[in-house]
Amino acid sequence: MVGMDNAWLLAALPAGAFAILLIFGPYLPRRGDWLSIAAIGASFILFFPVLAELLDKIDTPGALPGLSGWTWIEYADFKLRLGFAVDQLTIVMLVVVSFVALMVQVYSVAYMKGDPHYGWFFTCMSLFAAAMLTLVLADNFLLLYIAWEGVGFCSYLLIGFWNERRSAAEAAKKAFITTRIGDVGLLIGIIMLWRSTGTFDIRETFEAARAGVMSEPYLTTAVLLIFAGAVGKSAQFPLHVWLPDAMEGPTPVSALIHAATMVVAGVYLVARTLPLFELAHPAALDLVTALGLTTVFMSATMGLVMTDIKRVVAYSTINSLGLMMVALGSGQVAAAMIYLLAHAFFKALLFLGCGSVLHATGKDDVQELGGLWRKMPLTATVFGVGVLAMAGIPPLSGFWAKDEIILSSSQHQNAFVYGLMVLSVFITGLYMARLFLLTFTGEPRDRHAFEHAHEAPPIMTVPNVLLAVLAVVAGLVVFDQVGEALGFPGGIGKFVYLAEPEAFKFHGGVAAVSIIAALAGVLGALYFWRGEAKPAKAAGARFPFVYALWKNKYYIDNLYQALIDHVVLVFSRFIAWWDRKIINDTGVNGSAALAVYSGFRLKFLQTGRLPNYAFAIILGVVVMAIVAMTVLV
Amino acid sequence: MIPMQHFLVLSGILFSLGVYGVLARRSAVLILMAVELMLQAVSINFIAFAVYLAPDAFVGLIFAVFVITVAAAEVGLLLAIVLRIFRNQATANVDEVDLMRW
Repeated sequence: MVGMDNAWLLAALPAGAFAILLIFGPYLPRRGDWLSIAAIGASFILFFPVLAELLDKIDTPGALPGLSGWTWIEYADFKLRLGFAVDQLTIVMLVVVSFVALMVQVYSVAYMKGDPHYGWFFTCMSLFAAAMLTLVLADNFLLLYIAWEGVGFCSYLLIGFWNERRSAAEAAKKAFITTRIGDVGLLIGIIMLWRSTGTFDIRETFEAARAGVMSEPYLTTAVLLIFAGAVGKSAQFPLHVWLPDAMEGPTPVSALIHAATMVVAGVYLVARTLPLFELAHPAALDLVTALGLTTVFMSATMGLVMTDIKRVVAYSTINSLGLMMVALGSGQVAAAMIYLLAHAFFKALLFLGCGSVLHATGKDDVQELGGLWRKMPLTATVFGVGVLAMAGIPPLSGFWAKDEIILSSSQHQNAFVYGLMVLSVFITGLYMARLFLLTFTGEPRDRHAFEHAHEAPPIMTVPNVLLAVLAVVAGLVVFDQVGEALGFPGGIGKFVYLAEPEAFKFHGGVAAVSIIAALAGVLGALYFWRGEAKPAKAAGARFPFVYALWKNKYYIDNLYQALIDHVVLVFSRFIAWWDRKIINDTGVNGSAALAVYSGFRLKFLQTGRLPNYAFAIILGVVVMAIVAMTVLV
Repeated sequence: MIPMQHFLVLSGILFSLGVYGVLARRSAVLILMAVELMLQAVSINFIAFAVYLAPDAFVGLIFAVFVITVAAAEVGLLLAIVLRIFRNQATANVDEVDLMRW
């Protein structure tokens, strides 16, 4: 019977599919896409028995966690255990990953059709699913870190999927290096925790931390380093620069990895280690909030002026990730996880919608799109649902989830944070509605592309519609009644928590403010960007400085480039010179040349004549005799 | 009884003759004979020390036997080499044989 004890099967199935596809992929019919889909589909089905068992055991204290693991290394006193565990956080991630991965892979069958590396795409997708499921199932930091790097590697492979395009190869490199900066912090943080607690096990680490094994500064440093990993992976300021560029990958990749799953791994990591954050200095959580808020603002304003549809959606993803970080900064795991769930559905939907537009027109710049709702009514409808969900219009899922975060920020943070959150809701409504208006309404700006546009095939629209339905209803689970009906005793808020059960609350005033802000955003977008978008252009011309600032991404990319050019490369050149001249030419080649030269000179001592040798021997003996007589006697 | 120094002097003279022979002679066979002289000088030393300093121990005497054995084997080997050189080079003059140089 499949249950929590063998939840590792969820990760093992795609891993097996990956192994088979890697070796036999080219020989399988249809390049093995069915195998990849079957594996992730089976994982999705296996999720339900795991959930059922978790629900069954959740009220029995001590029955949790479902542990299965094995000893990896055992040497004298040193023992390293790797294992899997299922708890409430994991369950949310499991359903998100397995369901969205299934939808995206089905969608990809049509989207990637005819690509020369069709089979490789599904191979990578399987590896990604395996790594991501391992990441959320891991019960220790070491396995988590291995899977963490695994998803990063898949992200690299898939962003650079069309690596014959230079920009894609560059973007893949940028994503890998930028996230790596955070990953180094994560690794150091994990090692710091291990050094003082002697274990990689997450639960044991918590217990040790509660017992006060670590001093507060030490623990604070460790959690901040772990947070650095989350900042890199979840594209938070200042390491957010890689995510917009990651849109170079195929759109299904953006939907799965760079919207629904991998980028939320950072949120998951912070949620998972939140007990440590709470034990650390309060400044740690304040930093999470502050960086989250900064990210929310920068991404929202940049989203206002970008014209590439995938990039706008990417900025909205960064925006959402920032919101989740703000929720975690307030200690609200449930709010963050519910938003994560809703976000996974509507953001995957938005990306798949972008993919359909791209597939139909071959254009991804809104300056060349427009009026597409006449050609693609179904795509336009589901995309509209995604836009409204992201904007936070009730009763779509985005509203309920975002409302939880805003409510928690109004209760746990100061008025400044709350005010910024409401403002961000307004800007989100503005730029999401703008995206919809520019893409699907008005007059087509590129006649040729418009004439060729067509509705996507059913294999692409069906996942879209399923995700749209979930984007509508997923938010309703915040209600206790709905949660109970689905089998979660006491509502989902009592299910997903770490320290204290949190019932989902609904505050009329807060909700009203956020609805008004969201509606104002959407209506503002209608005013600015309807038809010819004259008011928007006028506003841009009126504030050229602000427009340039946003358009150039706050010059952060330029700053990093300058930093690389003037500091990193200069230093690298010095190191390269040192390596070439001092280490290589002098140290290695120099000593070899010296040996060759001296050998060439000294070889003439070997005359081959017996009398010379005899004379040398006797001379040596005489010298030794003289020395012996003068020194020893 | 003859004092030990006499034996040592004899040994020294023989050894010096051997050294002179090795350095001054050019014929390989003569050099071999000079080497034998040096070996026998050492043997005389061994026996003299053994008899005079440790009459109860046989170590020095045994060593002399060893020296003779090794010398016999060595001469056999070296004469074979000299013979081959003579066959190949038509000379046994060590000044003219420098095949093993750099």
